[in-house]
Amino acid sequence: MNGQSARREERRRTILVTGGTGTLGRELVARFTAVNDTAVIVLVRGQANSGASPISAAVTRLRGDVRAGASLGLAPSERAELASTVTDIVHCAAETTFNRPLDDARAVNVEGTKAVLELARDCRRLERVACFSTVYVAGRATGCFAEAAIGGDDGFVNSYEQSKAEMEVVVREAMPDLPVALYRLSTILGDSRTGAVSGFNAVHHALRLLYQGLAPMVPGRANVLVDLIPVDFAADASHALFTRAFEPGRTYHLCSGAARSATLGTLLDATMVAFERHRPAWRKRSIARPALVELDTYELFVRSVEEAGNQVLLQATRAVQAFAYQLAYPKVFDARHAEAALAPFGIVVPPVLDYYERVVRWCVETNWGAPL
Amino acid sequence: MTDVGIDAVTYWLPDAAPTLGELERSGALRGAAATLAGFGFRHARVASSESHVDMALYAARDLLGETSTSPEEVDLVLYAGALTSSTTMECGPAPAGSVLQLRDLMDFFKYPVSRLQSELDLTNAAVAGVDQQGCASIFSAIRLARATLIAEPDVRTVLCVSADRLPHGASREVVYNLVSDGACALLMRRGASRNRVIATHQITKGAFWDSGSLENEIIAAYFPTARTVIEETLRKAGVTLDDIDWVIPHNVSLRSWEILLGLIGCPREKLYSDNIGRIGHTIAADNFINLRDATDAGVIRKGDLLLLFTFGYGLNWSCMVLEH
Repeated sequence: MNGQSARREERRRTILVTGGTGTLGRELVARFTAVNDTAVIVLVRGQANSGASPISAAVTRLRGDVRAGASLGLAPSERAELASTVTDIVHCAAETTFNRPLDDARAVNVEGTKAVLELARDCRRLERVACFSTVYVAGRATGCFAEAAIGGDDGFVNSYEQSKAEMEVVVREAMPDLPVALYRLSTILGDSRTGAVSGFNAVHHALRLLYQGLAPMVPGRANVLVDLIPVDFAADASHALFTRAFEPGRTYHLCSGAARSATLGTLLDATMVAFERHRPAWRKRSIARPALVELDTYELFVRSVEEAGNQVLLQATRAVQAFAYQLAYPKVFDARHAEAALAPFGIVVPPVLDYYERVVRWCVETNWGAPL
Repeated sequence: MTDVGIDAVTYWLPDAAPTLGELERSGALRGAAATLAGFGFRHARVASSESHVDMALYAARDLLGETSTSPEEVDLVLYAGALTSSTTMECGPAPAGSVLQLRDLMDFFKYPVSRLQSELDLTNAAVAGVDQQGCASIFSAIRLARATLIAEPDVRTVLCVSADRLPHGASREVVYNLVSDGACALLMRRGASRNRVIATHQITKGAFWDSGSLENEIIAAYFPTARTVIEETLRKAGVTLDDIDWVIPHNVSLRSWEILLGLIGCPREKLYSDNIGRIGHTIAADNFINLRDATDAGVIRKGDLLLLFTFGYGLNWSCMVLEH
C-alpha cells in the first residue's frame, strides 16, 4: 500500500450496522452504500437471516448477535478488526415485538446495546454512534413529550417501551465518553411512495384483524392523535442527521407530531374506505368499524375472552392490546430539534393521510405479504 | 302519529330450573360451568313434556285471561320463533327429538300459529308467522304489529307470541350463554295504557348467515353493531341515553352487557339484570319476561323511558324505545 492509498484508506468510513436486515436498517444500509468511500459491515444473526437478506453485494456480512455479550458473537479476530476499522456505528438491532417477556426484550434492547457500546469504546477511529429508540419510551405519560424528556414516570404499556427506556439510560450513561446520539422513532407504517411494508408491526397486525372482522373494539377516543411515519422518512431523516448533522449527546424525535398526524377516528374511517375501495368484495362481509372504548371496557372484554378460553379471539385481542393500549394515553411528540436540524436538507415528514391508503392497499393486495 | 303500545305482557317458563353444576354433570354444557357462572348465569329453565306450542298457548291464554280480553277482540296474531324448529308443529311427543324430523310431507304444513288460533278461539284473527331472525323475531313481530295498527283502522288488537324450546338433549350453552326454554305473549293496541312504542330499529347482516362457522366474527361484530343500532334507535326516538330510565335486556351474559354498557356509555345501574342469573337466556322472550317482572316489582314506573335491545342469529340486531 502506497502513501496515497493509505491516506485514502484512513479517510474511508467504515460503518457497522446492527439490525441491518430490519425495516429501518435495510433502508439505511442502502443509503450508506450509495456513497463510494464508505464500507458497510452488517452484523447479521444466523445463517437464515443473512441468506434471506436482500442486502447489497457492497456490504460485508458478519455473523454475530448483540445478545452474545461483549463479543457480539464474533471471533476475537473479527472483533479486533472492527475495533481497528469502524468509524461509525449504527445500532438498529432491537426486539420490537411489543409483548415479548420483559427479560427477552431486555436481552436485545438493553444488554445488546451495552455490548455494542462496549465495542464502540474499543473502536480507535470511532467518530459517531447512532442508537435507535422509540418515542414510546414516554410510556403511559400523556400530553406533550419533549425530545429532552425521559419517559417512564407513569409506567409503560408494554415490554418494548420499558426495555427501550432502559436502553436509553444505558446510552445516556455512555454519552460523556462516546459520541452517541439517540434517534427516537415513531411507529413505522410503510413506504410513503409505494405503500410497501418491509416489516410488519403491531399496526399492520391490527389492520389485518380489522380486515378479518376480528377487532370488535379499540381502546381510545376518536380524537386521539396516532403518530405514524413512513419508512422512507425515517431513513432519510436519520441518515441526514447522522451523516450530515451529527451532534453527540442529542436526542431526536422522528415523528409526525400534531400537525401531520391523524386522529384514531379518521384513521379507522380511512381504513374502512381503503378496504372497500381496494377489495370491493370485502364490503359484502358487513364488517363493522370497531367501536372506540374506554380502557376499562376493553380490558373487561379481554378478560372475558380469556375466561372463555377462545383462542382465536384471545390472539386477536392480544395483538390489538399490544399496540392499542398506547392509544388510551393520548400524547403528542415534540420534534423541534429534529425539525430544525432537518430543515437545511428539506426533509419533512409527509402528513399520514397522504400515504396511509397506499399502505393499506399494499397490505390488502399482498394479503399482508402472504400469497393469496 | 298514532300511539301504539304493549298493553300487557305474560310469560310462561318451565318449572325445572337446573343449576349450572347439574347441567354440567348431565353433559348439557359445551364448556365449564364456572365460566358461565363468571358470566352471570346460575339456572336454566328446561321444558319437559311441553312443546314450544304448548308454552305459547299457556302464555297467550294467561294474557287473554289477565286482561279480560275476549278471543273475538284479537284481530291479528303474530307468532314469532327464533329456532327454525319453532315454526313447525312438534311431531309426536316433544321430548322424543327434534321437531324437524317430520315424518310426513303434510307435517310441513302444520303451523303453530294456526293451532294457537284454534285452541284460543281467536276466530276473528288473521295470523302470521315471524321468524328467521333468531332472538330478534319478537321485536320484528312488535314492529309489524305496530305498523299494522297504524295503517289499518279495523285492526285494533294484536297478539304477539314468541316461544322456543331447544331440542331434547341439545347443549344449553350457545356462544358462552346459557339457554332456557320459555314463551311470552304481548297484547298490542292503539292508545295502549303503557309501553308506548316510541321507536324501533333493526340491522341485519346476512353475510353472517352461517353462524356455526363464523362464531368468532359474530362475537366481534356483536358489540360495534349493537352500539350502532342502539344509537340509531335513540336518534329515531329523539332522546339520549341520559333520558333512558331503564335498559331491559335480553338475558345474554351479564358480562357482555357490562361490556356493551361501557361501549354505549350507560351506567350499570340502569340495567335490569335480575333475571339473567335466575332464568338464563330464553331465546326470544327475555326482554318481555324482564319487562313484566320489572313492572310487577315496581322497578319501572309510569312514564319511564325503556330501552330494549336484543340480538338474533341471521344476524339481526334489534332495539326499541318504550314509554312505560
